[in-house]
Order: sequence, then C-alpha cells, then structure tokens
Amino acid sequence: MKELVQSTYRYRELIWALALKELKLRYKRSVLGFLWALLNPALMMVVLTVVFSTIMRFGIPHYAIFLLSVLLPWTFFSQSLGYAVDSIVGNGELIKKVSVPKLVFPVAAVVSNSVNLLLSLIPMALLVLAMHHPFYATWLYLPIPMLALVLFTLGMTCFFAAANVFYRDVAHILQVVLSAWFYFTPIIYALDFVPPHMQWLFKLNPLIYVINGFRLAIYYGQLPRWQSIAASFVCGLTALIIGCAIFRKYENEFVFYV
Amino acid sequence: MNLSSMFDRTGLSRNIAVRLENVTQRFRVIQERPDTLRELFAKFLRHESSYHDFDAIRNLSLAVPSGQMLGLIGRNGSGKSTLLKLVAGVYRPTAGRVSVEGSLAPLIELGAGFHHELTGRENILLNGLLMGYSKDVMKAREQSIIDFADIGEFIDAPIKQYSSGMHTRLAFAVATEVDPDILLVDEILAVGDSAFQQKCFTRIEQFRRAGKTILFVSHNMIQVTDHCDRAVLIDKGSLIADGVPAEVVSLYKSLSMPELTSAE
Repeated sequence: MKELVQSTYRYRELIWALALKELKLRYKRSVLGFLWALLNPALMMVVLTVVFSTIMRFGIPHYAIFLLSVLLPWTFFSQSLGYAVDSIVGNGELIKKVSVPKLVFPVAAVVSNSVNLLLSLIPMALLVLAMHHPFYATWLYLPIPMLALVLFTLGMTCFFAAANVFYRDVAHILQVVLSAWFYFTPIIYALDFVPPHMQWLFKLNPLIYVINGFRLAIYYGQLPRWQSIAASFVCGLTALIIGCAIFRKYENEFVFYV
Repeated sequence: MNLSSMFDRTGLSRNIAVRLENVTQRFRVIQERPDTLRELFAKFLRHESSYHDFDAIRNLSLAVPSGQMLGLIGRNGSGKSTLLKLVAGVYRPTAGRVSVEGSLAPLIELGAGFHHELTGRENILLNGLLMGYSKDVMKAREQSIIDFADIGEFIDAPIKQYSSGMHTRLAFAVATEVDPDILLVDEILAVGDSAFQQKCFTRIEQFRRAGKTILFVSHNMIQVTDHCDRAVLIDKGSLIADGVPAEVVSLYKSLSMPELTSAE
C-alpha cells in the first residue's frame, strides 16, 4: 500500500505519459480528435434523454439525469476495468524487455479513464441546465465519491490485471461479471424499487454507496449520510489493499507468463 | 592492454559496478500451456504436469569493476541475453543476488518501448520515462537525440512511417544520449547501415574512454578482441572461461568449430 503510493508518485510522469498515450491513441486519426471525449457522453445523453422522456416513461421526473448521474461513474468503473484487465498482457513485450514497475500500467488505465469521467461532467452539467433541473451546490461534494470510486476501481483493476496474466479467461469472465453487476446495482432504478426484504442483499454491493453519492449530489441535491460515506471509503480501501497485495505478490512472475 | 585488463580483473582498484552472486535463473518451459481454466482443470484431473524447468543461468558469479568493457560470448541460447536482462532488472533471479551500482542504459532490444502510432518526439519522451529518467532530462536531451539519430523532419511523424534504420537509430540515440553509468549492449550493432554502425561504435568507444562500464554481447569476435578489456565465455548458463579477450575468443573458436563445420 505504501509502495503503491510511493511508486505512483515516483513514476507520476510515466503514468501520466502512458495515460495521455492511451487517450491520444483512442482518438487518433479521428477528425474530431479529442472532442470525442466530450461528444461521446454528450451524444449518449441525448439518446437516453430522448428515449426516456418520450418512449419509455418511468414515474421519475428528469429520468435522464437520474440515470446519468450514476451511469457516468459506472461507465468509468467498467471502462477502467475493461482497459486495465489487459494492461499487463497488452504491454507484455515491454515488460519482457524493460525493467519497469508493472503497477504503472493499470494505474495509467485508471488515470486515463478518470480524465474521461471528469470531461463527461461538462455535458452532464449542460444537460442539467438544458432540462431546467436545479443545479445544486452539492456538485461541490462530487470529489469525495470520486476519490472513493477511484480507490475502489484501482483495487479491482490491480486484481483483474494480475489474474488475467495467468488465466486469459479472466478478461472474458470480467465481461459477464460487469454486465451482471450493472443490473444488480441501482443504476437504471432506485434502491427503493427493490422489495424491502431483498434490500439487504443489494446493500452488500460495495459499489452502491459510492454510486449513491453521485446520484444524491447531482439529482437530489443532498449529501449522503456519514455512514454511507464511510462505507464507500471502507469498500474502496479494502479493494485497494487486497488488489494491490495480490498484484505485488505476483508481479515478479508476470514476465514469465505474458 | 593485457596488463591493464589483468589489473581490472582483480577489481581491487575500482568499485564493482555489476555483481552477480551465485545467480540462477530458472524458466518454466511449458510444453502445452494451460492458457485457459478449462485446460487447467483437464490437466489437473489427469494429474499431468506439462512443463519442465530449465536453468538459463546456472549458479553464475561475476563481478564487473566499474569502467571495464566486458565482452560476453557464447553460442545462441547459452544465456548471454538472459544475463543482461538479469542485470537490467527485467528478471528477478530465481536464486542468488544481482547488484548494480549506477544508472543503466539497456540496449537490449532497441525500441522496445516505442509505440508505432506515436511520433518520434513523443516516443523519445515515453521511452526515456520508461527507462526511469525525468521529463525535464528528456526534454533537455531531445535535440541532441534527434541530431544523433539523424531523423530530420520525420521526428514529428508517427514512427510507423519510419524505415527500420531510422527506427533503430532513434532507439540507439534515446538509449545512449542519457549519460548512463552502465551500458548493456546486446547484439544491436548488427543492424543499420555500416555508417551508422560505425557511429554507434564510436559512441560506445566514447563511453569506454569516459570510464563507463559496458557489458557487450557480440558474435563478432573481432569487435570483442579489439575493444573489450576482458571477455567471458558462457555455455549452458555457466561461466566456462574468463580472461583476456584474445584467449577467451580462441578457446571459444576451438570449442565451437566442430559444431560450425557440422552445421554446414
């Protein structure tokens, strides 16, 4: 854990360069280039807004905002994992030739997706204004759930990136896990929709607390209770400590399996 | 020349730059690798083990005093490259200890950190950061790297458009323009045109004169005899000769001649 902080700090320039490389490559040779980082979530928002305000109507006012306030952090989480799971194997040729701390690869994947998450808040804000939804001061609280989410995501990416080195099935399993996880997390619905006797089961989901922080701040204009904030950080740190420990335990073996 | 190399070999006069103590590097050679869980379970149920262990380096000890140019010779697959990668820190030894005193420039596989979609300039920075140098250092050396590599206006083009010669020149320039203490050279001088080879060799000579430590893997026996202070012969992961380059080279030739002739 201490080593994670140290090596992240020591190699911050390398991590940033790798993250920037990933972003550059993602938009390379597209006419609009980096604008896609903004356009992509913006267009997705337009589609969802149109669908949910005309075709499928729930009894939730401004459903698009209700949905997107948690869909953005979820997208960050699932995309980070999707990129990072392959970050060690994908850089295998490099790892076999250059002595470099392996941790920088999953960290860089998370960093590059964090940039995307931050950028996607701009179209989110525009949507809030366009739909005449109140623009709450609780937006200022967002860095807190973001931090907890990044910690949790880092822990998960370390675990999956390491596991994928030894068994390439992990990348495929991850896809299934993520899609199941999506539906079992109150993203398209609220936790209140779940029958009361089932709610305890949903509360075991470590993502629910941090995700809820986003929705409360953007959609409801409320702050979560302190227990919920604490739970989100406990989950984040636990994931990070376990993920990091597993990664460090096996990182010297990676070179033989990539 | 011989006298100075004898003196170097004692290692008393100088610090030891690279030291390997009883180093073993074991690789697991997997015949049919269980790449998937299904295969793993199948193998597990049948109690099969589909690998054997192979020591690429076997209980090898070596001390290279700082300022020495050491030639490593041996047949293909004898463990020379593995030894360099151990020094470079790519592998952690299975047993034993590797210690390195000073900054390293591995010229092992040139351009390993290059990404073909990025421009030459972006790759210079990325590669430098991968080798552990700071952004400021790389920015300061950027122009001299570009000059040495002789890339011209292509420096801002993605390197997938480079010829293989340009690619190698840029990689060599990045690796050597950073003023390392220890240079690891693996067979790289076999690439590029002869003018560039000459340029590379001139640079290696400069490093040698500047008192840098150089570990030099080559199949070119003339280069080894002419430039190295000391040579070691490696076979099947063990050190079988260590001494004056000319003597080690002639031993190597006498050992490998029958093989060479039978191969042809």
